[in-house]
Amino acid sequence: MSAQYLLQLSVSLAGGLKYTIGLFFVTILLSMPLGLALTFLRIGKSRVLKAITGGYVWIMRGTPLLLQLFFFCYGITAIPGIGPYLVMDRFTSACVAFVLNYAAYFCEIFRGGILSVDKGQYEAAKVLGFSRWKTTRLIVLPQMLKVSLPSISNECITLVKDTALITAIGITEVLYFAKSAVNRDVNALAYLVAAGFYLIMTYGLTVLFRRLERKYNY
Amino acid sequence: MEMIRVTQLGKSFGSEAVLRDVSFTVEKGETVAIIGASGAGKSTMLRCLIGLERADSGSILVEGEAILRDGSYQDEKTCRRICGKMGMVFQSFNLFPHISVLDNLIYAPVHVRKESRASAVERAMEHLRMVGLVGKEAAYPGQLSGGQKQRVAIARAMMMDPDMLLFDEPTSSLDPQLTAEVLAVMRDLAARRMTMVVVTHEMGFAREAADKVLFMGDGCIIEEGRPEELFGNPKDNRVKEFIHSIL
Repeated sequence: MSAQYLLQLSVSLAGGLKYTIGLFFVTILLSMPLGLALTFLRIGKSRVLKAITGGYVWIMRGTPLLLQLFFFCYGITAIPGIGPYLVMDRFTSACVAFVLNYAAYFCEIFRGGILSVDKGQYEAAKVLGFSRWKTTRLIVLPQMLKVSLPSISNECITLVKDTALITAIGITEVLYFAKSAVNRDVNALAYLVAAGFYLIMTYGLTVLFRRLERKYNY
Repeated sequence: MEMIRVTQLGKSFGSEAVLRDVSFTVEKGETVAIIGASGAGKSTMLRCLIGLERADSGSILVEGEAILRDGSYQDEKTCRRICGKMGMVFQSFNLFPHISVLDNLIYAPVHVRKESRASAVERAMEHLRMVGLVGKEAAYPGQLSGGQKQRVAIARAMMMDPDMLLFDEPTSSLDPQLTAEVLAVMRDLAARRMTMVVVTHEMGFAREAADKVLFMGDGCIIEEGRPEELFGNPKDNRVKEFIHSIL
């Protein structure tokens, strides 16, 4: 094992980072707001919306992400009628699958956080004249965030590792290059290099969330 | 001037009648203490006044304007406006834990009444001085003692310039020493003729600081009068027993 080979592997695997990191950010930035919107429907007054969001969460959490990935990549175009209009490139379909899947998890995380806010907070806000929207935005959501932070952190770390799944639909992300290198060179070192990549990313997130938790430690 | 007039207020939770027939008035500048055994409906009554519970029957007039008239409520906007004349202090303080003491005080003035931050801060410092908590403005509620929390809660309620303050067992979750510091602030408010309705188990406070004492039991007001009458010479046997049991 030479240092040169290691460097060569690292450069090659780094070529996949744009998909790994791209998918990570697209998923986080879109699934959190979508998850929050689902939370409001899920704890709202409408029974129909409650049932629909409940069903959505059940399906998205109850089936493998890999299956959902295959469905949005290969299966969706086979839907009669609308299928032909839903043709996406593979990375886009991966983003759709990830966003929809993670939104379901975030919905449940946020729901738990909101339910943990004491009802006295709503009463204090009401007698001080806060509207429902202002109560939610200024009083409930910040407290929800603090309670949810460890779970959000967990979810983000899981997401980094889940990005490797898109290698299964042939997207050239980090693990894809690692697998090719192992097959080509008959040397498993590339897997270790890939593991190093994921560890660095998850370590960064761990540090970031530890700081956030400290900041919210009132 | 009559600040509150409650007539024949009734309220049930399911099949259990918590308030049967409650009538009383509160005059401007008056401190009214509401006493009675647990479960008598004292807190529920107070919560009906400020719109945290909905009554089933009766009337509630605040400064002559009806929130509830013969069992039917005004529209939500009107209720909100009228209830805005009252401030409330809770047993469990209900401070906002995620913001500082100063922000707790200025949050509603700035976000609800659109007061400028500078002017709200100036008033907040005045109120903190009144409750003896200058120097704590940067602290978070979690860093305060119970008595300090409750004093912040009183200052927070005062920030909205209420015409009257409602207290729901403000010292019930405090130990005796901390109770004293909260009662001192309330006595100070009473001395300055703030209109106050206080649900309390503190008989000392009811006796010394109140202008009028209402004794509640079984969802009704059983007896009302000046503290020296009600404590010195209670007429109803239930009141006699209660006072006997706590003194």
